[in-house]
Amino acid sequence: MKSFKLFHNNKESIEVHYLKFNIGKNKNNDINTKLLKIWQKKKMSDKEEREIGRIQELESTNLAREEIRDLVIETKKKVERDNDLLAERINKNFQKHNIKSFDIVGAIGAGKTAILEKISEKISSKYKTLVICGDITTRVDADRIEEHNVETVQINTGRECALNAYHINQIIKNKELSEYDVIFVENVGNLICPSEFILGTDKRITVVSITEGEWVIEKHPMLFKMSDIAIINKIDLLERLGTNIDKMISDAKKFNPDIEVITTSAKTGENINKLLEIMGLAE
Amino acid sequence: MKELIEKVKSSIKDIESVDKSTLRVLFHDTLKELKNHHKIDAYIGDFPTFIEPVHLGNNVRIGDDVLLGPNVYIGNNCELGDYVELSNTIVLDNVKLGNNFTLENCIIANDSKLNFDILKEKNCILKGITDIKENIEKLDF
Ligand SMILES: Nc1nc2c(ncn2[C@@H]2O[C@H](COP(=O)(O)OP(=O)(O)OP(=O)(O)O)[C@@H](O)[C@H]2O)c(=O)[nH]1
Ligand SMILES: [Mg+2]
Repeated sequence: MKSFKLFHNNKESIEVHYLKFNIGKNKNNDINTKLLKIWQKKKMSDKEEREIGRIQELESTNLAREEIRDLVIETKKKVERDNDLLAERINKNFQKHNIKSFDIVGAIGAGKTAILEKISEKISSKYKTLVICGDITTRVDADRIEEHNVETVQINTGRECALNAYHINQIIKNKELSEYDVIFVENVGNLICPSEFILGTDKRITVVSITEGEWVIEKHPMLFKMSDIAIINKIDLLERLGTNIDKMISDAKKFNPDIEVITTSAKTGENINKLLEIMGLAE
Repeated sequence: MKELIEKVKSSIKDIESVDKSTLRVLFHDTLKELKNHHKIDAYIGDFPTFIEPVHLGNNVRIGDDVLLGPNVYIGNNCELGDYVELSNTIVLDNVKLGNNFTLENCIIANDSKLNFDILKEKNCILKGITDIKENIEKLDF
């Protein structure tokens, strides 16, 4: 029981234990050497920490049979590399056409669509806007947003839990990009999968709401590390819920000191103008 | 089949005046006729992704892991294999495509049966009934 507690209180000890456990198990010598090196040094630089994260992620492919494990790992790496390259190309394309672009991710029901509705309402007369909505099924979100006079494209991903750069590329290569000023992507609702795939937008915005509890940011560091703006939504409910918003803000800042944190209510419209300012879309 | 369905439709139009015994016979006949169409008509496999707009005709069978759209028209009675990826493409009626096709800006002629795996084409018309890739009729446009 003691060691269990230790693990949960001390991030580094989890990692060290993890490394100890995995050295030699891995057939890929390259990774092995890295693991060993990192373990022996113990004190880890940022880069190495990232690398560890990466290795741990790859290890989750261990369900693969021994013979094909290296192949699975390589393939997974390659898929992500391809996604990143494509995302880079998409972003260059957006910039060439002076398009401001945003990828909006967040938990189911946090208010991504509601915020996009409010934003669309305010900017649709000024900026030609395209909203790409990713959902498992239905066109509910796209229909809601279309009410506010912006163009939408719905992607139904079936069972995939995040959009990737390829989806976005398929859509934009059919569009005359010079016609648009702003492009939003509403990613499939959840806080886990979207962190793996960047889409080539200028900025990523992560939306959580106070109804998800004040631990929601603490529990999902990855997305906040990869986001430029964090929105804490539904603050109209604060009195009822008594959620500790200060903790949420400081958690986000702790994971990513550069992140802009803003509290909003898509219901009352509170701070939506401020959000537009941060996004560079204010009048 | 269609006729029977039309009959069912009109016989339950006014629910107050349904003649139950006639309906029962009709119901039975319809289900019996259905048995002659012993297969499942429309079917979509696992992990389909659709980017709108996509039109799916009647009686379309689609395999696993497909990515359809944007701008895809699939006619009636078509069958697409697994890992098929189509964008900006018109597939006319009664077409069969094998597994792992990637088509962009294409038209597939009606009644084509492309019974093989792996094909990557762009900007062309494809036509044929064949088990080998080399035998397709193809016109770039
Ligand atoms: N009280 C309150 N309700 C909100 C607010 N924002 C959104 N909601 C409500 O929360 C519910 C979910 O909002 P959506 O905008 O659909 O959430 P979403 O993040 O787009 O959800 P998914 O697309 O399903 O992942 C809706 O009933 C909204 O009306 C808010 O600021 N305050
Ligand atoms: Mg939504």
